[in-house]
Amino acid sequence: MTQNGICIKTETLCKNFDTVQAVRNLDLEVATGGRFGFLGPNGAGKTTTVRILSGLLKQTSGTAEVCGYNIDTQREEIKAITGLLPESPGLYSKLSAVEFLEFVGALNGRNGEALNRRIDSLLSMLGLEGRQNDLLESYSSGMKQKVLMASTLLHEPKLVFLDEPTSRLDPAASAIVKELILVLAEETETSFFICTHMTNFAEDVCDVIGILNKGELVTLGSPESIIDSAGTSDLEHAYLDIVGGRVDRKALLAWR
Amino acid sequence: MVRKWFHIAKADFYVLTAGMRNHRRLYSAAFYALGIVWAIYGAPLLIGGFLNAIIPMSVIRTMLMTMFPGLMRSAMMVLWIMLLLFPMTKALEEIKIGHWEIFLSNNVKTRDILMGGFLGGLPLYGLVTLFLAPLVITPFILAFAVSLIGVALMYTVLILTVLTVLWISNFVTAAVQSKLGDSSRGNDIAKALSFVIAFVGILPMYGLMFAAPMMTEILGTDVFLLLPFTWSADVVSWIAITFNGIGLTESEVMLFGSILQLDLLVSTLLAGAFSVAVLGLTLGAAGRVFTITAGARTERITTVGRENFILRIIRKLTSDSFGALLVVNMKDYFRKAQNLSKMFYGVILAIVLPIMMTLFADYGSEMNLLDVISSFGMMFAMVGAFPFVGTGFLESKDQLWIIQSAPRGASRFVKSRLVMAAIADVFLTSIVAVTMTFVLGLGAVDALLLLGFGFVVVIGSSMVAIGVTARNPNYEDTKSPAHQANMMTAIMVPMVAMMGSIFLFIFLAVMDLDVVLESMIGLSGCQVLFALVGPAILLSVGSIFVISGIRSLSSPDA
Repeated sequence: MTQNGICIKTETLCKNFDTVQAVRNLDLEVATGGRFGFLGPNGAGKTTTVRILSGLLKQTSGTAEVCGYNIDTQREEIKAITGLLPESPGLYSKLSAVEFLEFVGALNGRNGEALNRRIDSLLSMLGLEGRQNDLLESYSSGMKQKVLMASTLLHEPKLVFLDEPTSRLDPAASAIVKELILVLAEETETSFFICTHMTNFAEDVCDVIGILNKGELVTLGSPESIIDSAGTSDLEHAYLDIVGGRVDRKALLAWR
Repeated sequence: MVRKWFHIAKADFYVLTAGMRNHRRLYSAAFYALGIVWAIYGAPLLIGGFLNAIIPMSVIRTMLMTMFPGLMRSAMMVLWIMLLLFPMTKALEEIKIGHWEIFLSNNVKTRDILMGGFLGGLPLYGLVTLFLAPLVITPFILAFAVSLIGVALMYTVLILTVLTVLWISNFVTAAVQSKLGDSSRGNDIAKALSFVIAFVGILPMYGLMFAAPMMTEILGTDVFLLLPFTWSADVVSWIAITFNGIGLTESEVMLFGSILQLDLLVSTLLAGAFSVAVLGLTLGAAGRVFTITAGARTERITTVGRENFILRIIRKLTSDSFGALLVVNMKDYFRKAQNLSKMFYGVILAIVLPIMMTLFADYGSEMNLLDVISSFGMMFAMVGAFPFVGTGFLESKDQLWIIQSAPRGASRFVKSRLVMAAIADVFLTSIVAVTMTFVLGLGAVDALLLLGFGFVVVIGSSMVAIGVTARNPNYEDTKSPAHQANMMTAIMVPMVAMMGSIFLFIFLAVMDLDVVLESMIGLSGCQVLFALVGPAILLSVGSIFVISGIRSLSSPDA
């Protein structure tokens, strides 16, 4: 499923929405079993890239391979071995967590006792065992995020796309997700492609980080190398230096 | 002084006219100028010219004058229903609790919110009234040759009536919305109500129309005189009579008086008092009725229980993952109040006509199956189309991403929806067919044939509805152009397909082949053939829509 240990390979990948260039000439390689962090400001093109790589969106030009499959001709094969956690929860309000996970399992061709056991285990691990039969309409956004996380991992994908996986989670749940990613990557060679704004999270979890700004990949390397080359103390400051987000305190009161 | 209601009205007006935001003032002024010109000059010119072209005014004047009081009451009743129900239906489709939270956190009084919402929607409904009202009253203005002052007074009364009804509608909607709250559950209930509300309003009106003579006998007075729309209708009638330009004699005026019963002064006082009372009561009650509560949002957490026997049977019959998908799809669909409401809506639409016609026009006697199919066959299309078009298919684009990210996920999802629709259609068709059988007095064999015919039409319409929605999902947005287009297509396509037999008949007649066909299969054979052509076309068209919908939903976004 991989080519020379590479699970994602893009070549001059571009995506335009009318006059807006969401992704520009993206050349990227992600190693199998790796934890790739995709950072960038709002509207930088992270989600667009994930959607292209997971076969949900057509690129304007360029090409890419995911786990050895071409994104133009082998979308179904890509979907079979990848999992996607979307940016915002698109859950069925009138289903319970168990029923929703059964739905996602069935979409992926799974059913029966084996699926039920896996659902119970995942929900229990994410701390939802007491609420698993309540309708999702009554869940908080963090609980919904946990259910989505479970649905992403349900069919044991080889490559997992996570779009802002911890944006709605409390610190305890974030810690569980963090450990889950680490253990899955180490023990099962599952690869992770993680879009996030959380620089701390990326620094802790990811072994390689790419920073996207206005559709262009401006930085690529390990967290340590990015911090070193920026000459800062942590990834957050390095990120702010690279994409330009330093705060001018005087400007904050200029509106008064 | 900050006129908070004004700013709320302004914001609502901006939302209403967002489509023409670059030339908002110009277009609004142009539309109103056009409306006024239409009401004063266009409508009289056009309608007068049209009427004179058919029958000269001198000939139909007496007829129009005789019809006027009764027709004015009917027109006012329809105006009431439309203005009361349409804004309520529209508002319930989109709960705006979030807006109210902003208002209340900015210390806006509830009466300002009500007033702002009312004035914000007024330009649209005012414009609609301005264009539609002349269609009804112009023939009578011409018949009575009402003076300019009279015309101005008639329109003034109409406008005041519109304002009163809109105010009631605005108040009731706000109260219902605030009780439901802004939540998934509240939105679902509100959308369900928006479908049901039409029947809640219209059925009593039907009842009133047909039961009025009996109630009049019991009460010893014309029951219509107790209803507010009669008062304003009678004021309009009296103005036309009073400001007539044809020289009505005293005896003629007295004749109108005996029909209308209440004179101009009493009718005006009643209509005015009603408007003032409505305004006073609603403003007084605003603070109590209009409160945002957790309501349906968080007070109740629904925990699912054991699956019912139908789902358990389906699980036993289909042990693979498609069966699981079907069962979960059924749970999602049938738990939504809006879907149940749409089913109810389709079924009622299909059975209300035969019931009414049989009860009040003795229509059902001596009908055979082919008569029933030709008269009511198309109504089955509503039953199949309504529940499965538009909302209730996918809640959001994110949901679509989840489905699309599974291999052949969109295809499996649509197919499972189709099987689910077929199961639901069996029950829906049975309800309609059994009702028609009893109401129209059909025999057992005819009933079974009607059931079979009905099911084919219903499932064909469901296929069209699912295919259309899959091609262009509108999610939960009932105000989008996609939703309107889906609704129109899903209703019109089955109707046109069902008319296939008519086109076939015309074609055969033009080609002189109808005689040949009749000599080959006989008259009965021809009738059966014509009855089956429509459903056959509908099934074929439905299949094309489903295949097209699956392909469209499976394709990655461009």
